[in-house]
Amino acid sequence: MKNKRLFSIALAVLMTASAFSRTGDKLVSSKSHIKFYSHTAMEDIEANNYASVSTLNTKTGDVVFSVPMQGFEFENASMQKHFNQEKFLDTKDHPKGKLVAKIANFDDIDFSNDGVYEVIVEGNLTIKGTTKSLKEKGTVRVKDGIVSIESKFPITLADYGISFAKGKPSTNIAKTVEVTVIGEYTAE
Amino acid sequence: MKTKKLIRIALILAVAGGILGVGTVLYIFNKPHRDVLATEADYSLTNSQIISEYLENKITADDKYLSADGNSKILEVTGTISKISENYNSNMVILLKEESDKAGVSATFTAETNHKISDLKIGEIITVKGVIRSGASYDDDLELYEHVILEKSDLISQL
Repeated sequence: MKNKRLFSIALAVLMTASAFSRTGDKLVSSKSHIKFYSHTAMEDIEANNYASVSTLNTKTGDVVFSVPMQGFEFENASMQKHFNQEKFLDTKDHPKGKLVAKIANFDDIDFSNDGVYEVIVEGNLTIKGTTKSLKEKGTVRVKDGIVSIESKFPITLADYGISFAKGKPSTNIAKTVEVTVIGEYTAE
Repeated sequence: MKTKKLIRIALILAVAGGILGVGTVLYIFNKPHRDVLATEADYSLTNSQIISEYLENKITADDKYLSADGNSKILEVTGTISKISENYNSNMVILLKEESDKAGVSATFTAETNHKISDLKIGEIITVKGVIRSGASYDDDLELYEHVILEKSDLISQL
């Protein structure tokens, strides 16, 4: 009887501990910044998005960014409209972009102490319903208990079914644009 | 004499047409963004209503609220404040979420409207207006319910 009671207590303690550790491992960020930057001889175009949600698992190195595509803001209203339309990003049918990746060398990161770590992020990027693999460099910062991640990498628009054969977009939008991804995390 | 007059009229018409054409292109290209704050809401509802619409059928809800050109529906949403934060662009973000709901409505304010919510507290019930950017759903990769996202938000009223 006593053994049974001890076993029940041990089980309860174990379950509680495991629940806490699961919650603690996954950090959530709703403070993010995603930027598209296109440079051509004709003009430079920038679009910014501050509405993405991201998670970072400190036990597995898994990183996920979910990006509401209609949240990209351009200085020029006409460009923003074009960006959303069917032949460009088709954001009504594909409202979310997604980065599902893993920090390859996450064992190097000490999440409990301040530090700056150069990391390799490897995974898949989905835009307009097309998924392509990527392997890019990034930086993880730990400061005063706040973890942040930043990565800057090029993407070729044609890889995601976005191409312009003629007209202003073909001369004014770069074939390869620079994407900057920043997320700041707190415990869930 | 008649030919000269005809040429003159043709030239005037061509120049007028040119000016009109260039003017139209410039107008279309430089047209300002839609003023969400000054535009009347398309729908007025509670946070629980839109969350339940999205969780019931995301495709139908996206079809109802999202527009192909990005100028999606403007919503007035009433709910309980469960979180107040600031984004990377220094704009205030309020999450309206009921404890019984799986997701909420995240409303990002603007440089012009941030000051209106500086005195608000968690637990207060407010109505906000903003443009919807994306809907709510469970995401298998995040392993989280994502909130409805409103931007260009303004405080309409508080109870």
